[in-house]
Amino acid sequence: MDVVVEADRLGKRYGSAWALRDCSLHLPAGRIAALVGPNGAGKSTLLHLAVGLLKPDAGAVRVFGRSPYGDTEGLADIGFVAQDTPLYRDFTAAELVVAGGRLNRRWDAGLARTRLAQLGIPPDRPVGKLSGGQRAQVALALALAKRPRLLLLDEPVASLDPLARREFLQSLMGSVADAGTTVLLSSHLLADLERVCDYLIVLNAAQVQLAGAVDDLVEEHRQLIGARHDGGPIGGVAAVVRASHTDRQSTLLVRTDGPITDPAWTVREVGLEDVVLAYLADGSTRTSHDEWGVPA
Amino acid sequence: MIWLTWRQHRRQALFTLLGFAALAALMVPIGLSMRNTWADLGLADCVRQLAAPNVAATIRDTCDAGFHRFTNRYSSLNLVAVLLLTLPVLVGLFWGAPLVAREVEQGTHRFVWTQGLGRTRWAVVKFGVVAAAAVLAAAGYGLGMSWWVEPLTQAAREGRLGMIVFDLQGVVPIGYTLFAVALGIVAGTVWKRMLPAMGVTLAAFIGVRAAVAILARPHYQPARTLTFPIVGTDGPQADRGGWILAQGVRNPDGTLVAEDTRIQCPPGVTAPDGRPCGAELGVEPGAYNWQLYQPADRFWLFQGIETGLFVALAVLLLYLAVRRVRRIA
Repeated sequence: MDVVVEADRLGKRYGSAWALRDCSLHLPAGRIAALVGPNGAGKSTLLHLAVGLLKPDAGAVRVFGRSPYGDTEGLADIGFVAQDTPLYRDFTAAELVVAGGRLNRRWDAGLARTRLAQLGIPPDRPVGKLSGGQRAQVALALALAKRPRLLLLDEPVASLDPLARREFLQSLMGSVADAGTTVLLSSHLLADLERVCDYLIVLNAAQVQLAGAVDDLVEEHRQLIGARHDGGPIGGVAAVVRASHTDRQSTLLVRTDGPITDPAWTVREVGLEDVVLAYLADGSTRTSHDEWGVPA
Repeated sequence: MIWLTWRQHRRQALFTLLGFAALAALMVPIGLSMRNTWADLGLADCVRQLAAPNVAATIRDTCDAGFHRFTNRYSSLNLVAVLLLTLPVLVGLFWGAPLVAREVEQGTHRFVWTQGLGRTRWAVVKFGVVAAAAVLAAAGYGLGMSWWVEPLTQAAREGRLGMIVFDLQGVVPIGYTLFAVALGIVAGTVWKRMLPAMGVTLAAFIGVRAAVAILARPHYQPARTLTFPIVGTDGPQADRGGWILAQGVRNPDGTLVAEDTRIQCPPGVTAPDGRPCGAELGVEPGAYNWQLYQPADRFWLFQGIETGLFVALAVLLLYLAVRRVRRIA
């Protein structure tokens, strides 16, 4: 199995605060991967490291086996759409297609034009005057015209209305399915990406909390309900991700490493969203009582 | 990439051209009128005659009177000259500072720097094109100003080497403009917002220009000294248009009696109380006037040195800017 993006104890620091720390992950080729985490979790930092905009402060990241920072040749294989889909707002979509041709050796202008025509994007209006959804489509068309092997999208649908979100993701899936492009797209909402992704990376508080194929993740997590639990080991449970207790009853979300046979527990399957929320809830609230000067 | 640069900056280029045209429409008639007056007063002959050694006193007096009339008539234009001095820094503010700062402010650097060309190439081509355009504009400006200020400087005692007029003409505007643009670009890579970058550019440009003009320029070449007696009919034989750095009156033993002045008494004249010329200043017999100056024929040498200095600074700054661009995400 080919690995497209590989991070090894990757870290990036702004001043004294780590935006990303000890991040290790492997993104296999051909996956549509969702990078999920709350705002400020380090998603953009990870994507910027992968596209070579940032230089790692610790560890290493490799894309197609190459270190992306300062590697101009590697850029040809990576399509990147930054957050808020920045484009030259006074350029028309047609001019942006021309500009892309001047900025890339491999450039499929026909693909971009066909795409934009199909989507009904006017070629001669400044993109600053297009709707947010249309602008995102222009940015995606420009990224696809590079014929990239890896597509990195930073919060591509965050500023779109629900209809535009669906259209954007549909058109994205339509175009990467045939080419076998690996896609890594970030969002702070799993619900946006749940339908399209088959791989998931959960990032929180500068660290990778969870990474794996969606099917595996759903398969290996279970919800256990039983009498109040004192924290002792349970057969078949590798780790308790999140526990909530009432006086008499405990509800645990656990990662399993075998069948759970203990009859004291009622075992339920969980959805992807429950898994993600369980990992995000864990350690997401770094308390700041000291900074506020109030008692904890 | 050149196409992209042109597409992004064509509006700025158009505005600059329009500005130039408006400036020319204003300045050319003034320049022509100055030259007419110059010819009417016969000052072209004066310049030639005064350049020769041993000019007769009558010619000098007539010519000085002519220069005086000319200066009186056009002295208000010196204010215009001072205003024109700001043009290079304007180019730095409006071309240089937004170059990187605007991309970062609007986030488009993440689009353009992740294309297959790479950001180093982007920076080199873009900085190169804008710098070349700035050099062209500055060369036109320098040539035009050389023509325009020529009568003003020839009429003034201090020639082309004097403050302000030296900075306006010849090739130095190229150095200043290139420096201003480079400064703007670097400020944009450090502050990454247009307004702070423009502010820093303005402050740094004024600081460096003033420091060079006041501290460095007088010492590009060892200054010459000129001494002449305080008693005599003949004034100093210093060439017209020399740039006087310091002057004063010295006693025979070399001590400076009076700074920033000179004394000239006709022979045999004494003060009403019978004391010799300059005695009230503490001047001893045998005292002489002393001047430290840069001769006028060093104009092009000084232009070359100053331009070289600013071009070198600009190249250094541009190199820094390319380096900085690699660190912005």
